[in-house]
Amino acid sequence: MAGTPGIIGKGIRIKGELSGTGDLVIEGTVEGRVQLDNHLIIESSGAVSAQIDVERLTVLGRAAGDIEARTKVELKASARVEGDIRAPSVVLEDGAAFRGTIHMEVGIPEELL
Amino acid sequence: MSTTTVIGASIIVDGEISGEGRLVVQGTVRGRVQVKTAVQVERTGAVDAEVDTDQALISGTVKGRVSARTRVELTPDGRMSGDLKAPRILIADGAQFRGNVDMDERG
Repeated sequence: MAGTPGIIGKGIRIKGELSGTGDLVIEGTVEGRVQLDNHLIIESSGAVSAQIDVERLTVLGRAAGDIEARTKVELKASARVEGDIRAPSVVLEDGAAFRGTIHMEVGIPEELL
Repeated sequence: MSTTTVIGASIIVDGEISGEGRLVVQGTVRGRVQVKTAVQVERTGAVDAEVDTDQALISGTVKGRVSARTRVELTPDGRMSGDLKAPRILIADGAQFRGNVDMDERG
């Protein structure tokens, strides 16, 4: 059961660790670490400089750091991202700016290798 | 421009939250909160932090120091342990509070 969605508004800045099970929309600034069991959306005004560990990520703003998603990472046309992206599916829309490494891995457990 | 930030019930923030607008806490916040306009701790909210704002409305659990430039209101569901500093303080019947109260006279 997904938790309540959260919104980090435009005028807000968080420095530290953010974790939870609900969907989250970031319109402000977050520095540190974000761990979500659901969908994280970084809006066009959002800037996240952090280690991101989520179920799914959609970026319309800025992101820098190590990004890991269990299902999909999507960089929209307005996205500006720098870092390492690790996810089974990574989509870059025309116009998205990215610099870093992309690993499209399906998480195969050690035992099966 | 005023924005509302909602820390959902399942969200935990460990660190500093600062900025402008209204902060509504339904989840957990530990550390420091410095938000210009208002901080609203809802029934499911739990704040263990130093809070600095204009107006605070507490219906959840707060531990720490709350400093408000205008007023602090504890509703019947509010539970607070710590220091309150504000020119106007309202504690509703049913609210629980333990700590120091400083109503300094500031225009």
